[in-house]
Amino acid sequence: MVSKEQEQINKDEIIKDGYNDPTSEKVLTKKDLNHMVWRSLFLQASFNYERMQAGGWLYSILPGLKKIHKDKDDLKAATLDHMQFFNTHPFLITFVQSIILAMEEAKENRSAIRGIKVALMGPLGGIGDALFWLTLLPITGGIAASLATEGNIMGPILFLLAFNAVHFGLRFFLMHYGYKKGTAAISSLKEGTKKISRAASIVGISVVAALIASYVNFKLDWTIQAGEIPVNIQTEVLDSIMPALLPLVYTVFCYWLLKKGRSPLTLIGVTLVIGIAGSLLGIV
Amino acid sequence: MLVEAILIGLWAGIAGIDQFNGLTHLHRPIVAGAVIGLILGDLQTGLIAGATLELVWAGMVPLAGAQPPNVVIGGVIGTAFAVLVGQEPQTAVGIAVPFAVAAQAIITLLFTAYSPIMHKMDQYVLKGNLKAIDRLNYLGPVILFVFFFIISFLPIYFGAEKAAEFVSLMPEWLTNGLTVAGGIMPAVGFAMLMKIMFKWTYAPFFAIGFVAIAYLQLPILAVAIIAVAIAAYDFSFGGGSPKVKTANAGVADEEDYSDGI
Repeated sequence: MVSKEQEQINKDEIIKDGYNDPTSEKVLTKKDLNHMVWRSLFLQASFNYERMQAGGWLYSILPGLKKIHKDKDDLKAATLDHMQFFNTHPFLITFVQSIILAMEEAKENRSAIRGIKVALMGPLGGIGDALFWLTLLPITGGIAASLATEGNIMGPILFLLAFNAVHFGLRFFLMHYGYKKGTAAISSLKEGTKKISRAASIVGISVVAALIASYVNFKLDWTIQAGEIPVNIQTEVLDSIMPALLPLVYTVFCYWLLKKGRSPLTLIGVTLVIGIAGSLLGIV
Repeated sequence: MLVEAILIGLWAGIAGIDQFNGLTHLHRPIVAGAVIGLILGDLQTGLIAGATLELVWAGMVPLAGAQPPNVVIGGVIGTAFAVLVGQEPQTAVGIAVPFAVAAQAIITLLFTAYSPIMHKMDQYVLKGNLKAIDRLNYLGPVILFVFFFIISFLPIYFGAEKAAEFVSLMPEWLTNGLTVAGGIMPAVGFAMLMKIMFKWTYAPFFAIGFVAIAYLQLPILAVAIIAVAIAAYDFSFGGGSPKVKTANAGVADEEDYSDGI
């Protein structure tokens, strides 16, 4: 077992900035790229809190590195370099793969490759959240749920088809687009990031509002006596102010608590307490 | 029950792998509902429970890397109990959440325990043994499969009947309260989505989505199509387009002003 310090020294000696064999040649075929798209599915296979996706990242580009670096020491330097901390959005990983592979193929300096890799990780995380978690999943999941609630088996089937058409379409597109454009693709990403995030957020926020109105099931079953006349709080008071008022108010309340730093677990607890308390009081 | 519990365990194992590798999203409750409904011979209840749990987990996604209660265990245990115990799908949410929270805690431990593998990989790289990198990378999903198999097999094989007994002993105010809470629960997920996404400049689009359902009672797909149309327009001509901003500096100023409120 090598001590950590020793390991560090070894690494610096092995990862040089240049190459023994600096000849650059286009060796990757379309088939190679497609193969590495499939390998990208295992990006998080050895996920851990020390270097996050590093192992899966090296795994995903390994066939390309082997083909590009025919010199043994160059390959060792490249593979060791790619074992460093790595973390990005798992859906957009093929874009990073394609740019880095294009750079490796052009035998760019190791420090330049490392720099671009790190520079891509962060922004892709944000754009991936906006596209997948905030837009694609709520829309496909929401529509599928509305079918499945009626007992329709097409709900889950359509969900898988629609989600993965976008998911795999994007994986393959980004790999080939990024490889063709090389580092030029990065500037078009920078330009597009804000616009894409905004468009995705507009769709996402509308659909989330729609989901709140349809699927948060919060109704009172509470009748009070106003003098002689019984008044049903839900149908005669709340619904006449605005339909789906309680779901909206409660979601905004949760949002406010989250903003104040409360954890989702607290909110789950609060929700359980409200349900049981309401049931005990006989008003839900 | 043994065969059913094994089948459910196998599905949970596959779903557990998919949650981190593959990401085809067959691990979501909406799919688990149908599969587990089929295994247990009650597709209808499975579908409905899956849909309910899907909405609870709609917003509980790993945003910026934070891990919410585990969606696989929530979906699998939730639907299985809904079918086996014969409860309202909303009550199943109350049963599923504690399991999901516990599962996530163990996964956090797993990911911590996997750190030494990185040093192992370093050594293989130094030796030039790159085949070993592949092998170590495949080990992770195998561990996930075994883990998810065990933690969904055990409660279903040993727990379902006891849970049914326990639920039949629960007073009505409690089952009713859990059902009500399960119905409200999706609000938590939607609030989590809003925390990441919501800005005051997007408030009009929130209003459009809300009104389209609350007052007009349109289907979700209709709302999505309207929203995509608005986003496409905005992308080309509106606030999302930097060209328009520079061309009409006045408009851009106005927007910044409203941003500040």
